[in-house]
Amino acid sequence: MSTCSKCKSFFAVPADADDYAEGKGDCVREEKDEKGKFWLSKPVMENGTCEFFKEKN
Amino acid sequence: MEQAKSIEYKGKVIDFPYEKPEEKDIPLEHLHQKMANPSTGRTKRIKDRLRYKHTAVGEFCEEGIRGGMERMRYYTEAYKASEGQPEVIRRALSVANILNKCTVLMQEDEFIVGYNAENPNFVPLYPELSHFTVMDYMQSKYSPQPVEEAQEIVDFWSKNSLLARGMGYYTQEELLRQFIFTTMEAPAFASGFNSIVPPYETVQEDGLLKRIELAEAHIKEAIEQLAAPYWVASERMPLFDKIDVWRSMIIIDKAVIAWARRYSRLCKILAENFEADPKRKEELLEMADINHRIPAEPCKGLKDGMQAKWYTYLMCHAIERYASGYAQKEDKLLWPLYKASVIDKTFQPMTHQQAVELFELERLKVSEHGAGKARLFREVFPGSNDLFILAVGGTNGDNSDGCNDCTDAILQAAINIRTPEPSIVFRWHPKGRLKTKRLVFECIRDGMGFPSIMHDVKGTNQLIYLSKFSKTGNGVTPEEAHDWANVLCMSPGHVGRRKSQKVRTEGAGTIYVAKTFEITLNNGFDWSYANIQSGPETGKLTDLKTFEDLWEAFRQQYLYAIDMVNRGKDLSRHLEIRFMQMPFVSSIDDGCMELGMDANELSEQPNPWTNSIGGIVTVNSLVAMKKLIYDDKKYTLEQLDEALHSNWVGFEEMHKDFLNAPKFGNDDEYADAIAKRYYEEICAGEMKKIFNYSGGPMMPVGQAVGTNVEMGSRTGPTPDGRFGGEAHDDGGISPYYGTDKKGPTAVLRSVAKINSEGQKANLLNQRLSQPQMRSKHGFNIWLAYMNTWFDLDIDHVQFNVVSTEEMKDAQREPEKHGDLIVRIAGYSARFVDINTYQQNTIISRTEQDFGAEDLEYLGVDL
Repeated sequence: MSTCSKCKSFFAVPADADDYAEGKGDCVREEKDEKGKFWLSKPVMENGTCEFFKEKN
Repeated sequence: MEQAKSIEYKGKVIDFPYEKPEEKDIPLEHLHQKMANPSTGRTKRIKDRLRYKHTAVGEFCEEGIRGGMERMRYYTEAYKASEGQPEVIRRALSVANILNKCTVLMQEDEFIVGYNAENPNFVPLYPELSHFTVMDYMQSKYSPQPVEEAQEIVDFWSKNSLLARGMGYYTQEELLRQFIFTTMEAPAFASGFNSIVPPYETVQEDGLLKRIELAEAHIKEAIEQLAAPYWVASERMPLFDKIDVWRSMIIIDKAVIAWARRYSRLCKILAENFEADPKRKEELLEMADINHRIPAEPCKGLKDGMQAKWYTYLMCHAIERYASGYAQKEDKLLWPLYKASVIDKTFQPMTHQQAVELFELERLKVSEHGAGKARLFREVFPGSNDLFILAVGGTNGDNSDGCNDCTDAILQAAINIRTPEPSIVFRWHPKGRLKTKRLVFECIRDGMGFPSIMHDVKGTNQLIYLSKFSKTGNGVTPEEAHDWANVLCMSPGHVGRRKSQKVRTEGAGTIYVAKTFEITLNNGFDWSYANIQSGPETGKLTDLKTFEDLWEAFRQQYLYAIDMVNRGKDLSRHLEIRFMQMPFVSSIDDGCMELGMDANELSEQPNPWTNSIGGIVTVNSLVAMKKLIYDDKKYTLEQLDEALHSNWVGFEEMHKDFLNAPKFGNDDEYADAIAKRYYEEICAGEMKKIFNYSGGPMMPVGQAVGTNVEMGSRTGPTPDGRFGGEAHDDGGISPYYGTDKKGPTAVLRSVAKINSEGQKANLLNQRLSQPQMRSKHGFNIWLAYMNTWFDLDIDHVQFNVVSTEEMKDAQREPEKHGDLIVRIAGYSARFVDINTYQQNTIISRTEQDFGAEDLEYLGVDL
């Protein structure tokens, strides 16, 4: 199953973080347009799914 | 470029060779494209790819901008879920939900991080303030997506927004007169427009963890007090509300810390997983460290200070609610951190040049910022993304010179990077050091339109005067009164850990005087635009048999409008206190923290003002009518009535006479006497009879922002010779375009006749000769002009130093003039971003040359 925990963009929130919750991670994706590159980070849960899934190496 | 013409002065022929001789070989129309000099490759790269969100005529100037969904979604989600809780707690939870769930983002090369929307091309929206604004976005190409979700949100807030809550206190007729936006600005509850002076100092000096500790201690103390023997209701009942306020502070401050630390994590993730360049990797790790500590802990170096300031700005101006402005006394605020990093090198050691780069980065960050403003506010500030005005210079609390090396770094960065925002105010005082004044001149000479100059002593004295009306008896002390910045474009307001202005419903709101005068001539009826009765019936024009009849009719119309505007402001504040609390702002204000009061409610230092815009069209109209009708009796009121309703067509000779009647700004006693009477008797005189929530007497601020064109288009022909639809005057006290014909010092003499004490501020736009200012004598002449201006007790002046040739070339080939900046009124803009009509008003300002008589008056030694 292509869940967030297996995605290349998923980075687990450290246990000592203010917003830590079990299974919570940051989904960090790189985007680019005519003005340049930017990176988006959105809170997700490890069992979530989305259209941008890319399997971890 | 040709040099300025030589003049004969004190028996000598004075030539004006360029200070930089190489400039004579630069084509006049290309001068400003060659001036930018970013101090590093990084600031150059960011400038080249800036995502400007400037607006004009209601539209964003660049493609791809859109209203964001996340702020609306998460705010509304938590607000619905918290039903039943105290309103201030609901506000805290709703804003905290945004911070917890929003996307955080970063762009290439950035050092200062933090955004207000989920995409660098988006702007946030505020349905809880005005659901009308969201509806406006939804009907445009900027609509938030998915539109169905936006509609659901609008449906919810259509019954709960500040707008929905405010309308019930007016008759339909009163609402129409305000919403039509002709004689007066719509009330704050309708637009959601706000202004604030954030207490940046507490975040920088304490950090938010300390603020949380303070709130916790207050709650503990209050709970102990509640439990102590002998219940006394009058003393203890207020504690329930206070406890809620302190709790709301804790909720929001914890959320802000966690939000900043998400940026810290993003920096670390990028360094460890995305970045190949070892130097940038190292910088990202440094940023991760800064954003973990800041704003939780006190700032220790200049980099900390810049990041803390940006987070505080975002919270106060863009996330907790929308607010315009960038009010801060930046060189005082950051001086301790500049000293630590640049001079003492105790933390984040850097050179002065590296500090300059940091200020360039700040300017770039501000330039990219976007505000989800309503369409009308996208129209009336043409060329801007929002109003960003910071202050420097002036004097310190001990009356010493407020200029320092940090001031110079801020000014140098502005000269280097050439962005129109943030605009800068320089507080002028004779004690101000020459080295800094020279940098101020260079900014102006290079055509930036800023710094605008404010009279340091007048601003300080004004705060002392207003402190006497403090409801709490805790207004600013004489020492604290030196700490001020412009709240928006013009009005001084205290900066510091407490007592600063928190809401626009304290100061601002607008009456459009030229339109008010137009309806005065039509018995209160707006025939030329709205076709409604816009004010009281004060008599037909033909019944105003004497000048005093006319004066009295105008006074009544003016009073009606300022009363209505101030009722709207205080009603909005009444609602803000109950439904639009600001837990974050309250948490960082020492007064709110001590007293457990929301920032909307606590008023310690009154700062009341109402913008009074279009005064000079009115003055010139009164002058023309007095001269040609009441004194000389050359024309009758019937003839004028007919001529105005014909837009002067068929009345060409008469039009010429009215156009040629004396005009303000030429040191003409006849015209200036009426100006003086208007500004002192009606503008300041009527206004000071109004007292707002804070207990202070209302004061007028004369400033046009960009409304001179927008409101001019809504105003019919006027007796000064204006055709219907032509622009209003572009400042509070600026002579009308092209009508100041007697030189720059005649303008000063006219302005100086008006007692500036009654005005909170009054904007004076001047356009100076570019060849003279760029000559070897430029600085000496300007310095003498400024010293005279100060001695004449005038409170404001700002300059355009740009040639007509260059502006016209930019109209022909805008793509070649991205760095051409002009002063609008209160802020600067890229010339190519403003609409043609507005461009033409800038071109038509009188370009003032200093002649021998002017130099003599100024006492210049050349």
